[in-house]
Amino acid sequence: MPPMTFDAIVVGSGISGGWAAKELTEKGLRTIVLEAGRPIDPAVDYVEHVLPWEKRYRGMGNRKQVERYQPIQRHTGACDEWSSKFFVNDLDNPYSFPEDKPFYWIRGRQVGGRSIMWGRCVYRWSDLDFTANAREGYGVDWPIRYNDLAPWWSYVEKFVGIQGRRENLPQVPDGEFQTPWPLNAAEQKSRDILLTKFGGERVITNARLAVLTEDHGGRQKCHLCGHCARGCITLSYFSSINSTLPAARKTGRLTLRPFSVVHSVIYDPVKRRATGVRVIDANTKQMFDVNAKVIFLNASAMESTRILLNSATPEFPNGLGSSSGELGHNLMDHIMDGGASGTLPFATDRREVGNRPDAIYVPRFRNVKTKHPDFLRGYGFEGRAFRPGWERGSEMPGFGASFKKSLTGDLGPWVMDFGGFGEMLPRHENYVALDPHLVDAWGIPALRVNCTYSENEKKMQEDMVVSATEMLEALGATDIRPYKEDNPPGLVIHETGTARMGRDPKTSVLNAHNQVWDAPNVFVTDGACMPSTANQNPSITYMALTARAADYAHQLLNRREL
Amino acid sequence: MRRREVVQFLGAALALPFIPRGTEAAIKFGAELHLRLGDVPFRTLNRDQQALVTTIAELIIPETDTPGATSVKVPEFIDLILTEWTGDDDRAAFLAGLRDIDVRATAMGSNRFVDLPAAKKVELMTTLDGARADKAGAGLAFARLKALTVYGYFTSQRVEQDILKMQMFFNGYQGSVPFTPAA
Repeated sequence: MPPMTFDAIVVGSGISGGWAAKELTEKGLRTIVLEAGRPIDPAVDYVEHVLPWEKRYRGMGNRKQVERYQPIQRHTGACDEWSSKFFVNDLDNPYSFPEDKPFYWIRGRQVGGRSIMWGRCVYRWSDLDFTANAREGYGVDWPIRYNDLAPWWSYVEKFVGIQGRRENLPQVPDGEFQTPWPLNAAEQKSRDILLTKFGGERVITNARLAVLTEDHGGRQKCHLCGHCARGCITLSYFSSINSTLPAARKTGRLTLRPFSVVHSVIYDPVKRRATGVRVIDANTKQMFDVNAKVIFLNASAMESTRILLNSATPEFPNGLGSSSGELGHNLMDHIMDGGASGTLPFATDRREVGNRPDAIYVPRFRNVKTKHPDFLRGYGFEGRAFRPGWERGSEMPGFGASFKKSLTGDLGPWVMDFGGFGEMLPRHENYVALDPHLVDAWGIPALRVNCTYSENEKKMQEDMVVSATEMLEALGATDIRPYKEDNPPGLVIHETGTARMGRDPKTSVLNAHNQVWDAPNVFVTDGACMPSTANQNPSITYMALTARAADYAHQLLNRREL
Repeated sequence: MRRREVVQFLGAALALPFIPRGTEAAIKFGAELHLRLGDVPFRTLNRDQQALVTTIAELIIPETDTPGATSVKVPEFIDLILTEWTGDDDRAAFLAGLRDIDVRATAMGSNRFVDLPAAKKVELMTTLDGARADKAGAGLAFARLKALTVYGYFTSQRVEQDILKMQMFFNGYQGSVPFTPAA
């Protein structure tokens, strides 16, 4: 097959690839998006309104099939009887890890990537986050600060459509918000109590969500069915399928090619530039090349780095972008599974109507104004107050007519849950490398992952339990249930790092505009680029970095500097 | 109990979804599917076990002015889960627990639970309800039976439509609507 030639190549069609496609096509570049997985037809594939009794196992999942084909993916809750099709077949997409260092790599290979199933929580960072590495001596300093990215956050937020409440908290700056859904009665009361009891330090605010409360950009406001991870036929939550890819298609300059597994980047040592990418057709397994002036890697953090590692040349024997020795290193996730739930004593005469997909957020309060003695950085809580209704039945004592009446006619008391999401430090010893003995279904060398949480994260997780319990006690909750689970990294599905940005080519893979130091017409703008991961959900930052990098690439192309 | 806890309780680390709501087309499709599922013969539970499971499920959620567990085919759902979903060890533990329930009935004067007088059935179930944390035996079987009965009942088409009156489309979220439990 003769090589295809475009102005730009985007590898991956997920949350950052969609943004690269939109920005590059809107700037006039003929762009091909290479997606490893299958196309998605929302009319067929979106299943948010399919009911439990339409599913063979009523939503409990096809357990035996999932255990056989998705032994890793099954660990995430969204890989259920409806949405397991949006997660990869682990047999076709293997990777390895040392027996004593498990890592759950949760992946989606289809047009739209994981933007179909993502959590939709979007929080800006602050300079508390951008300066943390430099202040504390971990990793490398970010080459940018809040003010470099703030206009790009605004830019993407306006397009995405985000609901949120302005709080004027310096650690999570406000953004461009639609009016949020209100807190429910129990959450509002809890907010009021905690604001008083913790002197304004611990704030229950509305989750900031990429879910529309107002019609926006041809997409309808959310109808509150509550099942975002299964798709959305009204396009009410942001995904690349719902939003950026249609915008790119509208320009007439987009070519979207599913079933295109990118093997490697092709490097020209004379020009010291990449000339294109080598691709394997997922169905025919035929290899072909695509050429372009600029390449954006948006295959997801570890996949983009895998492509670079598989792009070794005589000049870069350890992979394109490896001259610093940091390619593959400094892998991070967040840490979760620390928190508590409890039964609230108030608002029993109130209920909610409508199923919010996410509810509340408690922004980071550790190491903001005062230093915590046990750990660096911090965590936020996601959570909700809810009345469990019939779902409390299997745990509730009793049976018979009165038991049934209670489950059908009452909702049970409000239960509040606070679950922590904490920052993981960047450490060189957490890394991915090519496994010399393992290839995927297309013969491409697979990754071996070496990653563990450090004592800092473990201490932080312990504190999540303590502070969540404190808050529930302050609310007068009963039946408080602290929880802490020792899950491996990866399961938060916020994997970042492995091709970090930096100020110095000797210690980083990418520069301040996400260009590979070794091949400046290659941009990496997904999670791989992050020198640290803060504690906020990362996707909106990938979007902002991608839009910023695309704008810069366009400037360089106009100046003929690529 | 949280969905995750329910599933863990049932023996797997899969998370259950939120309950969706119906549309006309979906309801029609589901009704047909439900009918087909209902026609599936029991494949794991033998005749005696069917009788035991059906009796206990109906005592957990009895027919009143609304359908009971049997009417919405909870026993068939339990058999499906035991046959296609449950692991071999868990299935064996459950079936052993059913046998243990009959053993306890023997101590109360009948060879089988189903033959106990109504008051004795309630007495034994009350005991078993207090033993749901047991790791094996009758308490374990009762706990799983109760969890599956509640789940199978409330995820059935008739209950979602006619009792819970589930909705799928809302014109905005309301977080503080007055509520009084049904009298």
